[in-house]
Amino acid sequence: MRKFILKRLVQVVVILFLILTILFVLFRLAPGDPVSRLVDPNLTPEEADHLIEQMGLKEPIWTQYLMYLKNIGSGEFGYSFHYGEPVAKIIWQRLPNTLMLFTTAVILAALVGISWGKLAAWKKGKLTDNLLTIASLVTHTLFLPWLALLLVWVFAYHLGWCPITGMITDEVWLDPACGFFTKFIDVVHHMVLPLATLFLIHFGSYLLVMRSSMLETLKEDYILLARAKGLSERAIRNQHAAPNAWLPVVTSVGLSLAFSINGGALTETVFSWPGIGRELVMAVSQNDYPLAQASFLLVAAVVLLSNLVVDVLYAYLDPRIRY
Amino acid sequence: MSKMLKASPQLARRHPWQERLAEDWRVFRGNLLGRIGMGLLILFGLMAVCSYIPPMVNAMYHPMTGVDPLVLKATPPSLRHWLGTDFMGRDIFSQLLAGARVAFMVGVSAAFMAVVLGTAFGMTAGYMGGFTETVLMRLADMIMVMPTLLIILMLAALFGKLNIWTIVLMIALFRWPSVSRVIRAQTLSLKQRPFIDAARVAGASHTRIIFRHIMPNVLPLAFLYMTFRVTAAIVIEAGLAFLGFGDPGTVSWGMMLQWVWKTGHMFTAPYWLLPPGICISLITLSFYMLGRAMDEVLDPRLREEGQRE
Amino acid sequence: MAASVAEKVRRALLGATAALLCLGLSAGPGLALSDDIIRVGVLEEPKSLNLWLANDTWSQRVVDLIYEPLYVHSPKGPELVPWLAAGQPQLDAANLTYTVKLRPAKWSDGSELTAADVVFTGQLIQNFQIPLQSSKWKFIKKVEALDKHTVRYWLTRPKAIFLTRTLLTPIVQKKQWEPVAKAAQGKQKPLQVLLRFKVDKPVGTGPFMLASWKKGVFVYLQANPHFFGRQQTIAGYTLGPYIKGMILKVFGTADAAVLALRKGEIDYYWNSIQPGYIQQIKGDPNIKLFVNKKSALYFLGFNLRKAPFNDVNFRRAVATLVSKEFIIKRILQGEAEVMHSLIPPGNEFYYNDQVPRYGNGLSWNDRVKAAYAILKKAGYTWQVPPVSASGEVVKGQGIRLPGGQPMAEFTILTPPADYDPHRAMSGQMIQEWLRAMGIPALSRPMAFGAMVQRIKDQRNFDCFVLGYAKLSLDPGYLRAFFHSAMDRPRGYNMSGYRNPDFDRVADESENAMDPAVRQKLIHKMQAMIMQEVPYVPLYNPLVVEGVRKDRFTGWVSELGGVGNEWSFCLIKRAK
Repeated sequence: MRKFILKRLVQVVVILFLILTILFVLFRLAPGDPVSRLVDPNLTPEEADHLIEQMGLKEPIWTQYLMYLKNIGSGEFGYSFHYGEPVAKIIWQRLPNTLMLFTTAVILAALVGISWGKLAAWKKGKLTDNLLTIASLVTHTLFLPWLALLLVWVFAYHLGWCPITGMITDEVWLDPACGFFTKFIDVVHHMVLPLATLFLIHFGSYLLVMRSSMLETLKEDYILLARAKGLSERAIRNQHAAPNAWLPVVTSVGLSLAFSINGGALTETVFSWPGIGRELVMAVSQNDYPLAQASFLLVAAVVLLSNLVVDVLYAYLDPRIRY
Repeated sequence: MSKMLKASPQLARRHPWQERLAEDWRVFRGNLLGRIGMGLLILFGLMAVCSYIPPMVNAMYHPMTGVDPLVLKATPPSLRHWLGTDFMGRDIFSQLLAGARVAFMVGVSAAFMAVVLGTAFGMTAGYMGGFTETVLMRLADMIMVMPTLLIILMLAALFGKLNIWTIVLMIALFRWPSVSRVIRAQTLSLKQRPFIDAARVAGASHTRIIFRHIMPNVLPLAFLYMTFRVTAAIVIEAGLAFLGFGDPGTVSWGMMLQWVWKTGHMFTAPYWLLPPGICISLITLSFYMLGRAMDEVLDPRLREEGQRE
Repeated sequence: MAASVAEKVRRALLGATAALLCLGLSAGPGLALSDDIIRVGVLEEPKSLNLWLANDTWSQRVVDLIYEPLYVHSPKGPELVPWLAAGQPQLDAANLTYTVKLRPAKWSDGSELTAADVVFTGQLIQNFQIPLQSSKWKFIKKVEALDKHTVRYWLTRPKAIFLTRTLLTPIVQKKQWEPVAKAAQGKQKPLQVLLRFKVDKPVGTGPFMLASWKKGVFVYLQANPHFFGRQQTIAGYTLGPYIKGMILKVFGTADAAVLALRKGEIDYYWNSIQPGYIQQIKGDPNIKLFVNKKSALYFLGFNLRKAPFNDVNFRRAVATLVSKEFIIKRILQGEAEVMHSLIPPGNEFYYNDQVPRYGNGLSWNDRVKAAYAILKKAGYTWQVPPVSASGEVVKGQGIRLPGGQPMAEFTILTPPADYDPHRAMSGQMIQEWLRAMGIPALSRPMAFGAMVQRIKDQRNFDCFVLGYAKLSLDPGYLRAFFHSAMDRPRGYNMSGYRNPDFDRVADESENAMDPAVRQKLIHKMQAMIMQEVPYVPLYNPLVVEGVRKDRFTGWVSELGGVGNEWSFCLIKRAK
C-alpha cells in the first residue's frame, strides 16, 4: 500500500514538473508582449528596453527557466501585471471562495446522487426509478452557463429571492453591528444559486453511477444470503448493498473532476463569484501571464492530487484490489 | 481497470459484419433512450440541412451578416422573424439553424479526430506493451485529468488563433485519452485470443495483425466512444464561445448565448435566451442517450466509463 | 457497524446543508448605510492603488479621487483650471521657465502640501522613468522649489503639452514616497520595486480617501476632512464634498449592476449602460439618464507600407464603402457618434469640421458605385465588375491591381469578441462589404496583446480595427499617430504614414504654446490626414449613464460622463 502511494506520488510530481515546463515554453512562445501596455510609445527604443529589462523579461531563456523553477519551488509565482501584487497572494485570497462553493456542491451532489441512486436501483423499473433516471439524464446534460443564466433570470430577477451575482453584501460587511453569523448567512444567501447550478449539473452523474453499481451489487451472492437470512429489506439495502456500491461513485468523483472544474470556471464567471476560475478567465483575457499561469498550475495540481486521493481511497476501500 | 478488461465474447468472435449490425440494430431499436436520442438527432440534422434555406429566401436571413432593414433592435417573435431578431436585427431562427450545422461540424469532426487518435494510441499501447505502453498511458493519464476548456481557453488567448478548426483540433488533442484507455484494454484482451496467435504463427506482420485482426474488433467500441466525444466537443466549443473566446465568424449556439448575455438582453429577451440553450442541452442529451443505448447494445460492462467530460 | 455510521454522517451533513440553504434564502437585503454615503456600482474593482501602476480604467477612477494635479480641465471646456495651484502658471519667456504658486492645501494625513512634494513627484518620474508619465517630463530640465509654496519648471524647449499634460500630473506626498524611492534606488531593478510597492493607505490631497477595501467586493472611500476645496469656489462651482463618503460596489456583470440601480441598491452605475438595458430603465421615474460624448476614437487602419494600401485611391474607396451609419446604428445600437475626423467632435476647440467625408449618407448601392468609380479611375479591373454595364450593382469578383496582377487576400485584424464585441463585429461587416466589391478581405480576431505586437513591433499586418478609449483632450496624439519619426518599432505611427509636409506642420504644432496658433495647425493636420486616409475614423461611443434621482442631485456632465471629480465634489442629497 505504502509503495503504491509512493509510486503514484512520484508520478504526480513528474507530471507536475512536465506541466510546469510546458507552461513555461507556451508562455514564452506566445506572441503578444505583456509589457507593451506599460511601454509608453513616446519612449525611444532605448528607454523602452530599459523598461522591459526592469520588468524582468530580458534575461536569457535558460536563466528565466531556472529562475522560474526555483521561484515556483519556493512558492513564488511572481507578480501579477495587473494587480502589481504577488500572484500567490491573489490566489490565496480567491482559493477559499472556490473551495467553499465547490466542495459544498460536490458533497451535496454526491450525497443526494448516492441516496437517490440507491432508491432508483431499489425500485428498478418503477415510476420512481424512471423519473429519477430521466431527471438526472436531463439535468446532467443541460448547458451549464445557460442553466446558470436561467436560474438567475427566474430566481433572482423575477422572484427576487437571491442576489444576482457576487459573494457578499457590502452593507453587511461594513456595518460593525453585524456579527459573524449575519455575515455567514449573507454568504450562504449569495451562494444558493451558484450552488444550485453546480448541484443540478452534477447530481445526475452520481445518481446514474450509483444506480448501476447498486444493480450490480444486488446480483451478488451475499445479498441473496442476506435475504435468505430474513433480514429486512431496509437493512439489506442500507447495510449490505449500499456500502459496496459506493466504490464506483468514488472513482467517478475523481474522473469527473476535470469536467467539474471547467464548469466551476463558467459558474464563477456567470455569478461573478470571486474564485480561482473567474480569476483565470479574467487573467487570460487580460494577458496577465503570471496570474494565468499560476492559477492554471494550481488547478492542475488540485486535479492531480484529488485523483491521487481517489485512487488511494479506492484501494483502501476495496479490499479486492491489491497492489 | 481490471473490471473493464473482460470483453464480451460476441465481440471477439468475428461475425460477418452485416449479421452483427442487424443484430445490434434490433437490440438498439428496442431501447427507448436510443430511439428518443435518434429522433432528436434526426431533428437536429434536419435543422442543419435547412440552415441553407433562409439566406436563399432573403439576404436578411443570413445568420451572420443579414439584417432586417426595418429592425434596429432586438424584437420578439413575429411572422417575419419566427423567433424574433437579435440586437442588430438579425434573424434568431436562421442563427439557430446555422448553429445546428456548426454543432454537428464541431462535434463530429472533433470526436472523429479524437477517436482516431485514441484508437491509434490505444491499439499501439495495448499491442506493443512495455515501455511504449507506459509512456503512452502515462501521457493519456496526464491529459485526461486536465480541464480541457481551461486549457483551450489559455491557448486561445496566448496564440490568438480562434479559427473554428483550430478549436476543433485542440478539442480532439485533449479528448483522446479516455478512448485510448478503453481501446487499450480491449486490445490487451484480444491479444490473448487464439486467433491472434494463429495469425502470428502464420507469419503475419505486426501491421497486418493490428489492422486486419485487432482493428475490426475494437471499432464498434471506438464508435461508441465517439458519441460521448461528440457531446464533450459540443459542450467545450459552446463554453468557449460563451466566454467570448470562440470564432466570431461562426454563428454557434454558444456564440448566440454570449451575444444575449454580453449585450444585456438576458432579462428582456427570453425569446433569444431560451432557444440556443435548449438546443445545446438537447443535442448533448440526444448524443448522450444514443451513447447509452449503444453502450447497452455493445457491452453493459463498459457503462461506468461512459462519463461525460 | 461502519455502514450505519456512514449513514448517520450522511444524514447529518444533508440536514445541515438543507438548514443552511433555508437560512440563506430567508436572509433579507443588507442593512442600509448612512444616507449620506453614495453607493456606486462598478464592474471591476481597482487592480492596484499604486498610482504609478494603476493604468486600467477601474483603478484610475479611484486613484483620481485620491491624488490630484496642479491643474484640471474645466467641465465646460478645454481651459485649465487651477486646482492645487493658486493661479495660472507664469511664463518667463527669456529663460523658458514657468512658475506656479500653490494653494494652501493639506494631505489626507493632515500634513501640509508644499513645493517640496511637487518637486519630489517630478524628480521621481524622471529618475525612475515611470511608464506613461516620463514622456511628459522629458523636456523638463529642472524643477525647483523657490519657497514653500512656489515651484519653478525649467524647460529645454517650448512644448505645448507642458501646459496641457505635464501640469496635469498627479502629485504624491514626499513623506510617503521618499522612503520607497530610497529603498528602491539601491535595488537591481528600481522601477520594478517602485511599481510593486503596495500602497495600503494612499495619502492624497483629493476629496476622498481610502477607508476600507474588501477585495473583490467593495471599496469604501471616506470624504477627506482635510480637502482644500471645501467651501472654495473653483470654475464657478462651490465644492463640497457634501457627502460623507462613497462605496464602490463591484458587480462583475452589467446585469447585476443595472438591476441594482433599478432596485435602488445603488445610486449610480459608473459605466456606460448598454442599449439592451436602456429600454428597461427608460420608463423608471426614479432614474435619470445622462448621455455624454466621450473622448475616444475607433478606426480602421491600413498598413501603408504594402500594396494595395499604399495607394490612396484604394484607401479612399474602402473609406467610401465602409458604412459608419450601419456600424453605429446596428452594432452599437446608436450609442455612438460618427467620426469624420480623427479628433472627437466633442473636443470642440480642436475638432475640424471641414474634412472630406467619404460616402457620408450614401445608400449601399451608391457606395458601391462611388467606390467603383474611384477604383476604376485608378486603373483597377475586375473579372466581374461590381457595377454592371447597365449600371446595376452586382457581386464583384476577381479584382486586379492597376498593374494587372490579382489582389492577394488580406486580413483585417480585430480584437477578440470577449475584449470588444463591437470591434470584432465591425471587422466582420467590413469584410463582407469589401467582398461584395470583389476585394478579398478576411476579418480575423486576435488576442489583443498578440495583435498589438504584430501591428506595433513586427509591423506584419494588412489592416486592423483598433480604438483609443480615452484620448487626452490635448491633440498631441495626432502628431504621434502620423509623424514619420514615430514610424519605428513600438512607435505610435502604426500605419507607416510618411509625409514631410505633415511632419513639418506637426512639429510646428508641438512647439506652439499659443492655443489659437495651435488650433489652426491642428485643423490643418486633420485636413491633410483625411485627404490621405491612412486611418478611416469610424465612431466615438456615447456614454449613457444612469443615476437615482431620488438619492442625489447636482451631477456635472463632462466629456466622458458624469462620473468625474466635479460631480463627486458637488452632489447633494435629494430632498
